[in-house]
Amino acid sequence: MIRTPLSLAAAVLLAGAAGGLAAQDKPFMATVVKISGIPWFNRMEVGVKEFAAATPTVTATQSGPSTADAAQQNRIIEDLVARKVATLAVVPMDPPVIEGTLKRAMDRGIIVVTHEADNQKNTMADIEAFDNSAYGTALNERLASCMGKQGKWTSFVGSLGSRTHLQWVDAGAANAKKYPGMQLVDPKNESFDDANKVYEKAKELLRKHPDLKGFQTSAGNDVIGVGRAIEEAGLQGKVCLVGTGLPNPSAKLLDSGAITAIGFWDPKDAGLAMNKVAKMLLEKKQLTDGMDLGVKGYEKVSMKKGPGTGVLMVGNAMVIADKASYKNYLF
Amino acid sequence: MKRKADPQLVFLVSINVLVLVVATAISRGAFIDPFNLQSMGAQMPELGLLAIGVMLAMISGNGGIDLSGIALANLCGVCAALVVPHLVSAEESPWLFTGAFTLACLVTGLLGGLLNGVLVARLGLTPILCTLGTQMLFTGICVVISDGVAVRVGEAEPLLSLGSALPLGVPLPFVVFCIACLLIGAALRFSPFGIRLFLLGTNPKAARYAGLPLQRILVTTYGLCGAIAGLAGVLIASRAVNVKWDYGQSYLLIAILIAVMAGVRPAGGYGRMSCLFFSATALQLLSSTFNFANASNFLRDCAWGLLLLVFLATTRFDFRTLLSPARPGAAG
Repeated sequence: MIRTPLSLAAAVLLAGAAGGLAAQDKPFMATVVKISGIPWFNRMEVGVKEFAAATPTVTATQSGPSTADAAQQNRIIEDLVARKVATLAVVPMDPPVIEGTLKRAMDRGIIVVTHEADNQKNTMADIEAFDNSAYGTALNERLASCMGKQGKWTSFVGSLGSRTHLQWVDAGAANAKKYPGMQLVDPKNESFDDANKVYEKAKELLRKHPDLKGFQTSAGNDVIGVGRAIEEAGLQGKVCLVGTGLPNPSAKLLDSGAITAIGFWDPKDAGLAMNKVAKMLLEKKQLTDGMDLGVKGYEKVSMKKGPGTGVLMVGNAMVIADKASYKNYLF
Repeated sequence: MKRKADPQLVFLVSINVLVLVVATAISRGAFIDPFNLQSMGAQMPELGLLAIGVMLAMISGNGGIDLSGIALANLCGVCAALVVPHLVSAEESPWLFTGAFTLACLVTGLLGGLLNGVLVARLGLTPILCTLGTQMLFTGICVVISDGVAVRVGEAEPLLSLGSALPLGVPLPFVVFCIACLLIGAALRFSPFGIRLFLLGTNPKAARYAGLPLQRILVTTYGLCGAIAGLAGVLIASRAVNVKWDYGQSYLLIAILIAVMAGVRPAGGYGRMSCLFFSATALQLLSSTFNFANASNFLRDCAWGLLLLVFLATTRFDFRTLLSPARPGAAG
């Protein structure tokens, strides 16, 4: 009978869907990320689960598209809006694409909070992990202390069009001016976040400036490429390298000493902070400048008006981890 | 008029009802909330239109398929968003802007579709490879002219309301989709072009010996696919307010799934617009049910793949001969 396999397939699908479609009496707090299943957002899910465990009066879960597609993320948000969840915490793939959907969500009385989207207009609060120039300064300060505050150093950016990367290295350069012994050479090399290109470029720079003492890098793969160049030249401990990177991929080079320290923010804490703010808004609590969200790095968030009707909250959640401390953040 | 109901159609409608009832029951009525119905109605059309394109190409037979739909839709949106603001001001004459935007999308789509048609019909390229190539070509052009970033569509009120207005509570994109279904469905059933297309798909050799203008039919079909992709581009632009080369990259498989679920024969010669419509709604209902249920999106991808295979396997049987004797009461 032809109908059997078809109805079977339909029944299986429905059963699968029904499994999770339990009645929701507690307020439902949804977190929607750019992509599911990558280390960064798996780490964020740890934070969301931690929040759910600590707040038994609500149901909090994280979801996201299986591919990096703004259209799919928008559909997920639309369905959550239709379902009338209590709060939406979104890490937008492409902020303008979901403006309309978020507006409809707020019109429907849903609390909307975003992260990594300081240009999002339709949000009640956008939460950023840190101020970009403060982060650049912190990276450079770590580099300066490793270099003994003197010697030649250089910087890498993902590309010259990458706004945050430029803010980081510019703040770094401004910080280094405090130390007359530090000399910036060939700044703002472009890496295109490609570990091989960075590796070639770093080798070239080490040949050109045999007395080069430090690197400050920006894109996630830069530390890997530069670290490899330093390691191959046997310069661990002699040349300092501080840049943005993730703990797991950098672990080996941190252990060997080729990478001095990596900077990042912990997505787990960002997930926690977003949901805490959403919960406060749900309870109609006032958000204030300098308030404590009760999350590490977000103890004293600065608050100002965002690009839309909402506020922009900036924490101080940067993490600068070295050989000794990176093991606390394995993701 | 007594006609036997198409078992595929009956099946698709019952799937729709089944999913709707089950989802409503488990969500305690939240699923048939008007807001959710409107939200689903607004989500579906861009995918449904792409599925119409896939269906037309499949009907033409000889391995016909259009893989370039979503890439072309994005290209249309990006071209229109880049060119039209230079010609018409969105603030001063919003209606003219909307008209020009729509026209630019449709023309770009038509040109892209004609390119597919010429490659398939004149040069005899295999459709699946040809449209895979043009898909990359369209995406590539789109990345180059937009520098890979999102292009903002001008703030013209009529264009934005095309994506969000609710005349009589029905989302406008859904209305557009229904009109497109009716027009193309009528063209397939009643116009000489439609009849020739079915004949060509059923048996290309016989069609050739019968003296049908094969090349012209193919070029027209792919041109029509392109114009529909252009229409999808208009809807995407009006709903998302900006257009980007990588929007909806996952739509390709889903559009094919809708067409296959609608019983369109991948070997050509058969496909019904009413089935396509209900197939598209069924998939939207299922997809939203998954989101209501917090199901993992990987599970959904897996489910789509499974559905595609099950339906491909079952279309190898003829529904009529298998089902008619078993269901004598299915006359409508």
